[in-house]
Amino acid sequence: MFDKILIANRGEIAVRIIATCREMGIKTVAVYSEVDKDSLHVLEADQAVCLGSAEPAESYLNMDKLIAACRKTEAQAIHPGYGFLAENAGFAARCKKEDIVFIGPSPQAIEDLGDKTVARRIMSKSGVPVIPGMMQPEADPNVLSKEAEKIGYPVFIKAAAGGGGKGMRIVRNKNDFLEACDAASREAKNAFGNGAIYLEKFIEKPRHVEFQILADGHGNVIHLLERECSIQRRHQKIIEETPSTALTPKLRKEMGKAAVAAAKASGYVNAGTVEFILDEDGKFYFLEVNTRLQVEHPVTEMITGIDLVRRQLEIAAGGKLNIKQSDVAGRGHAIECRIYAENPLEAFMPSPGKIHFVREPRGPGIRNDCGVYSGFTVPMEYDPILAKLIVYAETRKDCISRMIRALNEYVILGVMTPIPFLIDILKTQAFQDGETYTDFIDKHFADWSPVLSGKDMAAIAFIVDALSSRRRSVTVTTADAEANSPWKTLGNFRP
Amino acid sequence: MNYTLRIAGQDIPIEANRVDDETISAAVNDKNVTVRYRNVSANQLYLEVNGEAVNAFISDDGTGKIVHVDGIAYLVQDAEELARSAGRKKGGKDMPQEITPPMPSVVVSVMVSEGDEVEKGQSVVVVSAMKMETTLSAPFKGKVTKINVKEGQKVMPGEILVDIEKCAEEEIKAL
Repeated sequence: MFDKILIANRGEIAVRIIATCREMGIKTVAVYSEVDKDSLHVLEADQAVCLGSAEPAESYLNMDKLIAACRKTEAQAIHPGYGFLAENAGFAARCKKEDIVFIGPSPQAIEDLGDKTVARRIMSKSGVPVIPGMMQPEADPNVLSKEAEKIGYPVFIKAAAGGGGKGMRIVRNKNDFLEACDAASREAKNAFGNGAIYLEKFIEKPRHVEFQILADGHGNVIHLLERECSIQRRHQKIIEETPSTALTPKLRKEMGKAAVAAAKASGYVNAGTVEFILDEDGKFYFLEVNTRLQVEHPVTEMITGIDLVRRQLEIAAGGKLNIKQSDVAGRGHAIECRIYAENPLEAFMPSPGKIHFVREPRGPGIRNDCGVYSGFTVPMEYDPILAKLIVYAETRKDCISRMIRALNEYVILGVMTPIPFLIDILKTQAFQDGETYTDFIDKHFADWSPVLSGKDMAAIAFIVDALSSRRRSVTVTTADAEANSPWKTLGNFRP
Repeated sequence: MNYTLRIAGQDIPIEANRVDDETISAAVNDKNVTVRYRNVSANQLYLEVNGEAVNAFISDDGTGKIVHVDGIAYLVQDAEELARSAGRKKGGKDMPQEITPPMPSVVVSVMVSEGDEVEKGQSVVVVSAMKMETTLSAPFKGKVTKINVKEGQKVMPGEILVDIEKCAEEEIKAL
C-alpha cells in the first residue's frame, strides 16, 4: 500500500478522500490555487502545495505542476477525485510515464470511454444495449440534419467529449435544430476543448439509473448495485438515491450483468460507473461510463457498507478484490442531496461569497460530505458544490422524512443554497411515489417559488437580535453604511 | 418602538417593546406576541414565541441581516433605512438598464466594439461564475460608447461593463 498520495482536487471530494486515507494510515498531500489557500482540503491534509493562480489551467488542470508537486512531496500516487483531470487520458498517461500511480483506470480505457461515440461502438459490439443514434461525431450541419430526420424528433444533441450536461440540447422541432447544434458545439468546445457533437434518439419519460462497478487488475469485476439519479436540473443531478424504485430484482440482475459486461469490454480497472437510461417499459440503454469516483458515490457506500475510496486505493496498489458478487447486498435506503452555492430565488444563479455561519445537520443516519466552514469564502472560479448531504434509513419513506428533517437543520448563512427547493421536491407526492423521471423538475417545478411562511418569525428574530446587545464582527458592511446603521444604536437601546 | 422591515419584497410593520432582560412584547402585522429569548451564540438566538420554541440563526450582511428560520434564510432589511439610503444614492430601477453582472464573475467574452450600434436584447458580454455562463444583453437600442472590461477580468455586480448610449428614438419613446 502507498505511504503517501497526492489529491489533485479541491473541496468536499478532496476532504472525503483524505478521510479514508487517514483511516488507512496513508499520508495525504493537498494541492491548491491561490484563492483556495484557506480551503478545507488544504487545512485537513498532512501537507499542502500551492500550484498557482485561480485559473484552473494554472492550477488544478496543470499537469506539470501536479507532477512537480508529487515529486517534491514524494507522493507515490495521485487521486484525481471527480472533475478537473479525473477523466483526462493524457494525465493518466503522463502519470504512468513519470512512474506515479494514477488512482483510476488505464489511459486507454479513459480515452475509449471518454469519447462517447467510441464507447457506444464498444458497447454495441459487446451486446450492451445502446440508444439508437449516431456512432460517430459529426461537424457538418447538413449531415447532422439528415441524421436527425433518420433518427426522428425529438433528438438529443450530445458532446462527444461530454459530461456534466455541457454541450447537450434536446430538440423537438426541426426548425430549432441547426441553432441548437451550433450552441451545443460551442458549449462543448468551451468546456472540453473539443466541439464534436453527435445525435441520439431522445427517450421520453426516462430514468437515469447507473451501476457502480469495481474492477481489479486481476480480471475480477463486480457491481455494487444501482443509483437512481433522475432528479436533475439543467442536466445536473441534484438528488440521488439507492435502491431505485423502478428496478425489480430481475431487472437489477440484468442491468448489473450489462454493467459488468461493459466494464469487461473496455478493459476497465478501478471504480467506475456505468450509466443507463431506463424507459417506462423497463428497457434500458447504455449511456456512458464515468471513469472516476462519482459525486453520488456515498449512497452506495451507505447501503453496501463498502468504502469505495478504500477499494480504489487497494486496487490501484495492485490488490485483489476480496469480495465476490454474491457478497454484495444492499440494506436499507440512502438519498443524497447536493448543496450548491446558488440562489433558488433568482433562477439558481451561482452565489459565491463569504459564508458567515454554518450549522451542519447531525443525528441518526446522517452523513455530510462538506468542503466549507463558517468564515470560508466560496470562490467564483470553481464548481458551486459546497457539500453533499447523505442520509440513510431502513425504508425509502423513512429516508425521505429523515432527509427533510436534516435539510431543515442545515443552516448556511452568507451564500444562498437550494435547500428550500430540495425540501419541496422531497415533499411532493410524485417523489414519494417514486415517479421520478429526468423531466421531473421541468414538469413539477417549472414555476417553483418557495413558500415564505417564516417571514414574521424572521422579523421577530431580527428585532430581538437588534434589541439584545449582541456583538458580532461586521464582515461586509462598509464604513459608510455602518455609520448610518440604526442597529448600532439599537444595540445599546434601553427603554 | 415601531419599525418596518423588508423581507422578500414585503414590508412588515412591527412594534416591539422590551419587557425585561429576556422578554419583549411585539406586534407583527397586528398580531401580538410575547417573545422570551436567549442569546445562544453570536449567530444563534433561542426564542419562545408565545411559548413555542424557535431557533433562529443570524448574521450581518451588507444592507441588513440574514435570518434563518424554519429551513429558509431570509434577508431582512430596515425599510426606512433603505428608503433613506436610496434617497442619498441613485433612485431604484425596476429594469436593469446597465450592463452589469448579476453576481461576482469573470468576463468570458465581449461581443461588441466601441462605436457599434446594438439592438435591444442583443448579446453584449458573456460572464462566467462557478462554471456557469450568463449572457448580458443590451437593455435598449443604442450605440456602444465605451468598453470598460476585457476578457478574463473579474467583475462585481454594479460594475458597468459596457456603456451604451440610448438612440434618439428610444429616448423619445421613453418620454
